[in-house]
Amino acid sequence: MKTQLIKWLTKIYPIAKRALKKFHGGVFPSYYKELSSRHTTLQTSLPKELILPLNQHIGAEDLPLVAMGDKVKKYQLIAAADLKNLHAPIHAPASGTITAIEYRQLPHTSGLTGLCIVITTDEQQVEQTNPLNFPAKKGDACQPNTPQALKDIVYQAGIVGMGGAGFPTFAKIPNVKGKIQTLIINGAECEPFITCDDVLMQQHASEVLSGAQIIAKALACPSIIAGIEDNKPLAIKAMKQAAHKFENIQIQPLLTIYPMGGEKQLIKELLNTEIPAGTHAIDSGILMMNVSTLRAIHQAINLGRPLISRLITVSGLGLDKPFNSEVLLGTPFEQLVEQAQPKSALNYPLIQGGPMMGFEVPNNQVPVIKTTNCILANPPQTTETTMPCIRCGECMDACPINLLPQQLYWYSRSHEFEKVEKLNLFDCIECGCCSFVCPSHIPLVQYYRFAKSEIKTAKIEQQKANLAQKRHENKLAREARLKAEKDARIKAKKEAIKQKALLKAANTDEDASAPTKIKKSPAVAAAEKAAAMRKKKLTQTSQYPIDTQTQTQTEEMSKKPALSAREKAIAAAKKRSTQTKSNVENSAEKRKRKAQTASNSPSVIETAEQKAIRRAAELAKNMKKKALAEKNRVEKQTNNAPEDHQLTTSQNTGTGTQDKSVIEKPIANKRAVAMQAAKERAAAMKAKKLAEALQTKNEKIE
Amino acid sequence: MSQRLTTSPFLHNNSSVQKLMLQIQLAALPALLTHIYFFGLGITIQWTLAVLTLLVVETTMLKLRNRPVMPYLSDLSGLITVTGIVFCIPPESPWWLVVSAVTFALIFGKHLYGGLGYNPFNPAMLGYAFVLISFPAEISHWTLPSTLSGHTLSFIDSFHLIFYGHIPSLSLDQITGATPLDAIKTGLTMGKSVTDSLQSHLFYLDALPYGWTELNIAFLVGGLYLLSRNYIRWQYPVGFLLALGGMSAIFHAIDPNTYASASVNLFSGGVMLAAFFIITDPVTSSTTPKGRFIFAFGIGVLVFIIRNWGAFPDGIAFAILLMNLCVPLIDQYTKPRVMGYK
Ligand code: SF4
Ligand code: SF4
Repeated sequence: MKTQLIKWLTKIYPIAKRALKKFHGGVFPSYYKELSSRHTTLQTSLPKELILPLNQHIGAEDLPLVAMGDKVKKYQLIAAADLKNLHAPIHAPASGTITAIEYRQLPHTSGLTGLCIVITTDEQQVEQTNPLNFPAKKGDACQPNTPQALKDIVYQAGIVGMGGAGFPTFAKIPNVKGKIQTLIINGAECEPFITCDDVLMQQHASEVLSGAQIIAKALACPSIIAGIEDNKPLAIKAMKQAAHKFENIQIQPLLTIYPMGGEKQLIKELLNTEIPAGTHAIDSGILMMNVSTLRAIHQAINLGRPLISRLITVSGLGLDKPFNSEVLLGTPFEQLVEQAQPKSALNYPLIQGGPMMGFEVPNNQVPVIKTTNCILANPPQTTETTMPCIRCGECMDACPINLLPQQLYWYSRSHEFEKVEKLNLFDCIECGCCSFVCPSHIPLVQYYRFAKSEIKTAKIEQQKANLAQKRHENKLAREARLKAEKDARIKAKKEAIKQKALLKAANTDEDASAPTKIKKSPAVAAAEKAAAMRKKKLTQTSQYPIDTQTQTQTEEMSKKPALSAREKAIAAAKKRSTQTKSNVENSAEKRKRKAQTASNSPSVIETAEQKAIRRAAELAKNMKKKALAEKNRVEKQTNNAPEDHQLTTSQNTGTGTQDKSVIEKPIANKRAVAMQAAKERAAAMKAKKLAEALQTKNEKIE
Repeated sequence: MSQRLTTSPFLHNNSSVQKLMLQIQLAALPALLTHIYFFGLGITIQWTLAVLTLLVVETTMLKLRNRPVMPYLSDLSGLITVTGIVFCIPPESPWWLVVSAVTFALIFGKHLYGGLGYNPFNPAMLGYAFVLISFPAEISHWTLPSTLSGHTLSFIDSFHLIFYGHIPSLSLDQITGATPLDAIKTGLTMGKSVTDSLQSHLFYLDALPYGWTELNIAFLVGGLYLLSRNYIRWQYPVGFLLALGGMSAIFHAIDPNTYASASVNLFSGGVMLAAFFIITDPVTSSTTPKGRFIFAFGIGVLVFIIRNWGAFPDGIAFAILLMNLCVPLIDQYTKPRVMGYK
């Protein structure tokens, strides 16, 4: 009834079409899907050379398991990393010889180079038998019945999210049965031009569903829903036919709107659930997989084949014969595009991914990797001049997250990053809807990427500065204490009363949160100066904010969400000092008594404090390493940290009876430390959120 | 200044500020024709004068501010400002009235704040308010619809009136007079009830103001076109008309002798012009969906208040400027709920 009404309304008010689905916003671009779906899938010839980057996924770079000159067989494992790190192993897509292990340009936004294994293929194409080391008995023995067994095979097959995210799939699968209520098959494929998922569903529907069945069985997941946009009627038909065999699979046609295939959007549409900000779909009992990923899982489990090829779309307005094809990983872009008969010379950059969220590759020789779903050859178009924002709100109406892009833009432009963060910048999925509709042609997404990287950089720099300052303060405090304790022995009695008064004063000062006047150590000053310089530089170049440098930083940072763990550790150390401080304030009596003991053994105290710092540092280092793989455990550790240190540090506070003139310094310092600690805890909390936001982003468009 | 897109998205829906403004301009065409039909060709002269002033002032200001002239002149936003002013001032008012209104609007309403997109006040209304306060006498002489005055002004007549202030054959009083809203207001101050005022020749039998009703309907038609194509948002007209209509209906029910009915209120003065063409200016209105409604509703309430209890017969300009002031506050408290946050 409601849908009928809206459908009728769209006749006189076309944009009402947006109301036909459950999430906010969305846009209706021209799809150009017929370009590539018109032609049948093409057989591509075996490339002479395959280039396999060691990092085709989110997480740590793999280490090569082969050396120059080695002969490799098809399906042979050629690179993997330490299991402690998040990664996905890589297999040889074809047999041949390793002719180089060197840095080459990656198909990546950053334009970075990365270590790649280069295989020169041979004619024979010898295959490795049983590459996934299945037990000899075939058949049911390989069907995983537990989440762990499933994870093992998925890991060994090197499967990652193939919709573009590249998150290692095994890490996405929960450890326990029954946690997942719904498995969503993402067949929305909402980006213009791309048709590989469409073709995949048409031709291999049963493989996709079999992959889904395997997961559902291993995880004891009761229901499977496949969401497919209604501009793919053939795929819907094929999937429905294949789904007849199973009772628990439901095929759901969806309104064609971008970005229907976004994780949050598709979940909202299919289940009418919103994933709470800062959590993952898994936490809500939902697992989402792209159709290509599911097929890869099917191939791994039923055929024992690791991930060595994928279906991709080669399309674009610059090509005469766009096509879809199953291509080997490592095939250079240019070779594929040449096969599609470019209308004019390829003197413009190709785009990897769709036109809404894809990126220009640094050169046309970059290889197809596990996440490449589309190669786009669109001849460059000149765009219209950017005009000032007229606050028309088109962007707001188009934003699928219901952000206020115009306000985000306004504050990003004026570098008011705190306000930008308050407007939930980090929930932005960079879908590009806002830029797509902006009548002023403002490259909005560019501004958001810039703001995000700026905020992250600023946070990291602040952490560094704080750490340096903390070290310096500790040193000062220690020195002062030693001196004070010496004096204290002489003047102990006399100063006890004076000190009490002083403490009170300190207390009130802190409540008023008066600005601290601590002399900065040279290290801190230098760090802050550097930050200021950078900021200045950026303000000058603010019109087109994304230069390669900042982009590189974004990339680097996205690889290291672990930093937040380190920050947490630092915060923990700070917390310790806050607690110490409160001890000081709360029990002046106790302190006096303790002071006596403390003054007796200054050397012990010093080592204790040093130990504490070292421990914090070690902890930080440790956690940085482990955070990615075992985030939960790290969190627990960090939470424990303050308690661990409390015992040792409570003794450190023995700055009891001291000369007034000497004690002023440590107290001022302590106060500063306490205030810093409070600030830092807040910063650490934010940083944690940030890391999570990053991860969510990475998972976003499957 | 065109450059190639280097980051996603690589697609655009081909909208532009220019196209948007052009559509709004086109949607005002029915109203322009209606205006000519009832009040003569004076408006075309005013419009030409205004556009010439616009060209001179914009070019000078852009040059002074060291901005490229062409892209900013061709965004057509100035045209909308000018059109807003031209429909507000009397069609036979002296030439310097429109020139000063446009100049003031563009300089103080737009360029001094940094140009398009940065101005807090609606430039058209600022310009109009300026002449309304500075030259109240000239503003109040509105040409009577030709059927009422019995004189059809030719183009030459209008030209004379605008540039010399008189036409040889006629006295000014014969062809100009008070607007219907003026008549009601003056009537009230002289102890005449609204019902009596509505009997005057300025109104139809069913008490709708003659000429003005048609003009408002023409604006309504253009506005509905804009609305259906999503060039303007529904919150503005709905909020505004709801507030104004609702308040007039309530007060009319209480005291029909002091308060005109909702239909008189909605179809007189520049109500529909404001509802669809003026308050919809996105730059100076609230930017959130809820905010837009509140903004428009507030204007409606203020217009009613000024019309009935204020010193001016039609308070639209002041109501809009007042609500412009509140925009930052409205924006602050009407942020939509971001997905994933309860
Ligand atoms: S679409 Fe563009 S011009 Fe309109 S409000 Fe958003 S940023 Fe401003
Ligand atoms: S890019 Fe970000 S702000 Fe723009 S529409 Fe997408 S989610 Fe919203």
